[in-house]
Amino acid sequence: MSNIWYYVFTLVFFLFDYFILAMGLNIQYGETGILNFAYIGFVAVGSYVTGALALPSSVGTGQHYILGLGLPFPVNLILGGLASCGLAVVVALISLRRLRTDYLAMVLISLSLVLYDICNNFVPLFNGADGLYNVPEPFAGVLKLTTNSFIPFFAAVTGVIAALLWWVMSRITRSPQGRTFRAIRDDEVVAAALGKDVFRNQLKSMLIGSFYAGVGGGLIIQFSGSFNPTAWLPGETFVVFAVLIVGGVGNNVGMLVGSLVVETLLIHLPAFLPAIPGHPGLIEYFDSVLIGILLMAMLWFRPQGIVPERVRRALSLGAPANLVAGRGEAPGSAPGRPVPVEIATADAQGEK
Amino acid sequence: MTTDRTTTPATGPDETRFALSCDGITKAFQGVRAVNGATFDVPEGLVTALIGPNGAGKTTVVNILSGSMTCDSGTEHIGGTDVTNWPSYRIARLGLMRTFQLSRELGGLTVLENLLVAAPDQAGESMVNVFFRPSAVRRQERENVARALDILETYGLFHLRDNRASDLSGGQKKLLEISRAVMASPKVLLLDEPMAGVNPALIERIGGYILDLKAAGVTVLMIEHNLSVVERICDHVIVLAEGQTLATGKLSDLRENEEVVQAYLGEVIDASTHG
Ligand SMILES: Nc1ncnc2c1ncn2[C@@H]1O[C@H](COP(=O)(O)OP(=O)(O)OP(=O)(O)O)[C@@H](O)[C@H]1O
Ligand SMILES: [Mg+2]
Repeated sequence: MSNIWYYVFTLVFFLFDYFILAMGLNIQYGETGILNFAYIGFVAVGSYVTGALALPSSVGTGQHYILGLGLPFPVNLILGGLASCGLAVVVALISLRRLRTDYLAMVLISLSLVLYDICNNFVPLFNGADGLYNVPEPFAGVLKLTTNSFIPFFAAVTGVIAALLWWVMSRITRSPQGRTFRAIRDDEVVAAALGKDVFRNQLKSMLIGSFYAGVGGGLIIQFSGSFNPTAWLPGETFVVFAVLIVGGVGNNVGMLVGSLVVETLLIHLPAFLPAIPGHPGLIEYFDSVLIGILLMAMLWFRPQGIVPERVRRALSLGAPANLVAGRGEAPGSAPGRPVPVEIATADAQGEK
Repeated sequence: MTTDRTTTPATGPDETRFALSCDGITKAFQGVRAVNGATFDVPEGLVTALIGPNGAGKTTVVNILSGSMTCDSGTEHIGGTDVTNWPSYRIARLGLMRTFQLSRELGGLTVLENLLVAAPDQAGESMVNVFFRPSAVRRQERENVARALDILETYGLFHLRDNRASDLSGGQKKLLEISRAVMASPKVLLLDEPMAGVNPALIERIGGYILDLKAAGVTVLMIEHNLSVVERICDHVIVLAEGQTLATGKLSDLRENEEVVQAYLGEVIDASTHG
């Protein structure tokens, strides 16, 4: 297979993977209003755990890591997602219950930095700065794929997983549960006054989003066979936020569009462009500049994103058409019911 | 902190039952006592007014009673259950709903969705049901949508059902606040100035809605500055001044009360008779 296809399928993989990552951040931030600035940390935990579970025992591999169970795909991937959920529980119990959104955001940024330092420096955990490598390819024993055929194969696997996760996420966001998340996003105090257990719902949202983060991370290490701290600098969280903002906060389809624009076109495509003569490597730094400009432009001209959040109309919520049609349509004529009492007010006459 | 009740508490006839009672509620903000021993009972099935000067602590009391805020001391009972400093979602689930003085709509949701959020005991709020009992979720959702549309029709918001709540006018938001609370089928309804800033015709309509709710058996406690409204729709009045219960009783009796007149009614009565 020629190089060009190798590149194309790499792009396709990252398109789907960031679609998954963006859906996870969207349920937390876009739907529930939790400003998770540590999101990339949850991705990393999923990635490391997925990798460490696929790797054999660390003895004699020249790497240091925990777990080393040699588990098959996708068992390791699911456990990687659950490991991220574990981190979410810890974070939620410590900070979610007590802190307002903005303070929580600061705590989460710090958490991201702390996680990073631990993984980068504490070698016995996930091999420190070298990270994990030589992670066995999924289905290597069964399919015996070459490197070149593995890439399109795994891009397709990721596409299937993304489609499945998209179906699950749409079910959630369309359900009354999703509506309760959005109510909490819009006003926690009101949601609580309407009987919603805000913490419990935020925890649920954190868990769902973290699972998506962990799975998205796990797919990365299974795709490339390695994962180390350079892959998840804390600033990477903002790339996922950029996908969200460009695509359209609160819309799952928007996440795919955002992933296409930000991840595929802006981040990965420039890396495949020919270098600017005399300035090798310069082009790779263009992505952050481009993302910055794009983000500003979006927030200025189209803050709702390319695919805005849906307005969920009565008919789409299951209102029978005959219930909606032909009643109450003329607000002036008969709004509601006759008024049983007269409340005399000095200047009421002019209004009637 | 103890309080003096200048009139006898509204025990009324012996069979009067109280939907909501609070005793010695205090709350300080940075050392300033906003509520200073408020003590009163809200009789079941009636409309009670909570009146008092600006800054008397009325909204703070409603915040505490509904659990939106905790109190520093004192107790609160709803239908005999001690709910002191319960979180607001648990108080709401006991059947107490409140509205906000400055309307707080769920701006990103439609008007209809604002009501649907308030529907109690939704099967679709459990992930297990969403994925494994979708037909039960759908059935309940259809019922809730139908009921919400009925309520919207009653409150004259039907034509706005698909609008984003953030786009409503001030008066429409007031109506949305009340209809959203009604969607939760409350036993007790706390209304924080439901008629503030709305035109006189709408004041009449809202007054009608409140009496309808009373007829349906809902206990209403409403903060209201307009005494002509209080006179016509409230059975019982609680006067709050400087965070304390100054007096309780019928408005006509309170007009005789020197202290109440001095603290609150005086100017208003003058204004309404000469105005
Ligand atoms: N969150 C808060 N932080 C600090 N002070 C507050 C807070 N809420 C209320 N207060 C103070 O408590 C006192 C009572 O306020 P509250 O809103 O309860 O009055 P109110 O009786 O509802 O007045 P109004 O009729 O003007 O609505 C005021 O002095 C107010 O400044
Ligand atoms: Mg007030």
